Amino acid sequence: MSEHPEPYDSPQHRDETAIAGMWLFLASEILLFGGLFLIFVVYSHSHAAGWALGVRHTSLVIGGINTVLLLTSSMVYILGVEAARNGNARGIIQAGLGAAALGMTFLCLKGWEWHTEFGEHLFPGPGFAIGGPQAGGAQLFYSFYFLSTALHGLHMLVGIGLIAWVCLRTYRGRGRLLQVMPVEVVGLYWSFVDLVWILLFPVLYLIGRV
Amino acid sequence: MMVHVLSCWVVLLMLLAVELFVAAAGSGWGIGACAGVMALLIAYGFMRITRAPALAFIFAVGGLFWLSILLALGSLDSFTRTNFPVGDTLSSTAHDPRTPPDTAP
Amino acid sequence: MAPISGPDTTQRSYLWQDGTVRSWLLTTDHKRIALLYMASITAFFVLGSVGAALIRLHLISPTGAILSDATYSRMFTMHGIVMVWLFLVPSIPVTLGNFLVPLMLGAKDLAFPRLNLISWYLFIMAGALVVYGLFRGGLETGWTFYTPLSTDYTQGRVLPVVAGVFLSGFSSIATGVNFIISIHQLRAPGLTWYRLPLMLWALYATSVIFVLATPVLSITLLLLAFEHFFHVGVFDPALGGDPLLFQHLFWFYSHPAVYIMILPGMGVVSEVVSTFCHKPVFGYRFVAWSSISIAAIGFLVWGHHMFVAGTSLYAAVVFSMLSFLVSVPSAIKVFNWLGTMHGGAIRLDAPMLYAMGFIGLFTVGGLTGLFLASLASDVHLTQTYFVVAHFHYIMVGGMVSAYFAGLHYWWPKITGRMYPEMWGRTAAALLFFGFNLTFFPQFILGYEGMPRRYATYPAQFQVLNVLSSAGASILALAYILPLIYFTWSLFRGAPATDNPWQATGLEWRTSSPPPVENFITPPVVTHEAYDYAALDHPDTAQRAEAPHV
Repeated sequence: MSEHPEPYDSPQHRDETAIAGMWLFLASEILLFGGLFLIFVVYSHSHAAGWALGVRHTSLVIGGINTVLLLTSSMVYILGVEAARNGNARGIIQAGLGAAALGMTFLCLKGWEWHTEFGEHLFPGPGFAIGGPQAGGAQLFYSFYFLSTALHGLHMLVGIGLIAWVCLRTYRGRGRLLQVMPVEVVGLYWSFVDLVWILLFPVLYLIGRV
Repeated sequence: MMVHVLSCWVVLLMLLAVELFVAAAGSGWGIGACAGVMALLIAYGFMRITRAPALAFIFAVGGLFWLSILLALGSLDSFTRTNFPVGDTLSSTAHDPRTPPDTAP
Repeated sequence: MAPISGPDTTQRSYLWQDGTVRSWLLTTDHKRIALLYMASITAFFVLGSVGAALIRLHLISPTGAILSDATYSRMFTMHGIVMVWLFLVPSIPVTLGNFLVPLMLGAKDLAFPRLNLISWYLFIMAGALVVYGLFRGGLETGWTFYTPLSTDYTQGRVLPVVAGVFLSGFSSIATGVNFIISIHQLRAPGLTWYRLPLMLWALYATSVIFVLATPVLSITLLLLAFEHFFHVGVFDPALGGDPLLFQHLFWFYSHPAVYIMILPGMGVVSEVVSTFCHKPVFGYRFVAWSSISIAAIGFLVWGHHMFVAGTSLYAAVVFSMLSFLVSVPSAIKVFNWLGTMHGGAIRLDAPMLYAMGFIGLFTVGGLTGLFLASLASDVHLTQTYFVVAHFHYIMVGGMVSAYFAGLHYWWPKITGRMYPEMWGRTAAALLFFGFNLTFFPQFILGYEGMPRRYATYPAQFQVLNVLSSAGASILALAYILPLIYFTWSLFRGAPATDNPWQATGLEWRTSSPPPVENFITPPVVTHEAYDYAALDHPDTAQRAEAPHV
């Protein structure tokens, strides 16, 4: 690749630009999930009973454990960002691997949850488990459930990939000047994925349960 | 700094516990409030929005502002529709007396 | 690879620095990426135009001349999808915008050069998927993909086409992020916000829509694909789902997208009108902020696409009133352009002819929009050819005119060659007359009640339809001509000077074509935007500049 001159005045200018860019991308992500939340706002009102019936079929235990896992994962990664600021390469890698492992555990539990739900015929379509007058609303809930957890899971996979990349480049760059910015930018993304789950969790597991 | 991050995490877990408790009590607004505070705590405690360039704050607020437009104007129609209400047709069209008649002229 | 003949400056320009195919395909130079984009969207424009040509040929006869009814539906769908997502939405931002944003900022490149290249690859993959879907069976849903037609009843290739449009959305988001961050972070010393060229204000506003509206389209298409592929209901009325919710989500993107398709054109016209009148733009701050307010208000009006769809009357009233608001900043722009021209020494070169065509056609398109924003008249006019004519006046009369204006205006800067002026003026005139002949009859057709998207029509509409088709053939000529003479000028055009139009703006301070690093010495801005006095009297200007040097 022919190296084109970089447009930045200084490394600090470059880092600031990258962080601002990540925040702008996250603003875009807000609207991506926003479309899903519009579905929730409309259907949870117009089909309140069926929607609540769906919520009551989700597994609160798995959802709750997953929330704790993800909060912890976010926290562990932020410790890695602090390590990066202190120039501690080992700290980055340890925190990154810890955060990624917690994220993978989240995904495994989520997969298990999906598996049981498929077994219980909770995937919408013919043969849907919930019958009766509220079947339609419950199916709409489960369409929302599967799509939003899939989209969130996809974001988690991307996040884990990014964390692995950060660990790898830190490992390869040993002995050279440590770059804080990539660690920090990935941290922003990882915390955002956490934040989305914090908002999805009550919508999928809590509101309408009682 | 480590103390700061860890205390944030502890508060988040406590808020989660409160959220579950409030949910058991059946308060929808309480759940929403807890989730909102937790989200803010992540933005301020983990993502350090106050230490990011000023642009970050503008972008975040912009995103939330446009989100509110989407949710408000997007649900306005469904919530005020009277001529063809959003209904549960699988379950309710056959014998749901609540479906109001078409009042459009 | 060296040019066969040409001025010496081309030797170190971005065009000839390294001529291998590999260096072009892996370039992170915004100028080269702009040219990659230009080649791609030209190909898509040709494809979409062929679709339009077949539609107009078919409609010469009331019973339909050449296509079956099903093929006709697929044809207008192809025309719509290709033109909207693969030409109009990217058009000016990714070609002229990519080329000009760093130059106008006095920067070496965009903020994220690699992201810029990635966005081109995403766009190419998107285009390939869409074209694959359209040629392997096509789609009959129109470019709007309304459910439940697109989910339950379609016989067409929904998935590849939707996946393509989905990907093109990410390409748009990448471009939007790049532009916004560049304009914030990479302005040259002295280049304050109110010294920015109006083109950059327009592109900034466009990028806001790219970044904040496109993700909603992405999620909508994801929901659509999910419902179509797994046969689960999200919008399915059989489950009590609301198909109108799809339309809300779709138009939350697609109405602002209309402003994606016109705001950059307004930016180009602001530059061109100022340059060819040799006067600063009248009311600079009003024009600048009207771009931003068009982008902001544009998010509040989408419901006017759904007045007859069965939405709530209350929502319809709110959306109708908000829709009227958009006309205010749009009118501000038109009046300010006219104010700029008033008393100016107007030079009628090709870019100016295109820009004047833009102002007229955009005004007609905008004013007819008021009929559609009014609840009562919309009930009569919606889903007729009136709507078709209205949005073509904005999209083609507006955006395509502006695109050609910009291409002619910056062609010397991009290629280092002049296009043949006489042919440029001819093409501009042909575009204006051909366009009006094609689309003005459609206003009358729509008003008289001819519905859109039908393959046949009652015989009494034939005269107007034949007129429209005749106009389309003139329009085709107006598109083919520039393709020929631009290609010719690449090899035989007179070498361009650095500032052939006596324009202000940083892009004219570097060589034509620019060197790889854009500016040999990084520029410092000491004047307001459009300061022609400083340009015309460099002696006094230099004295004013002296303290800064």
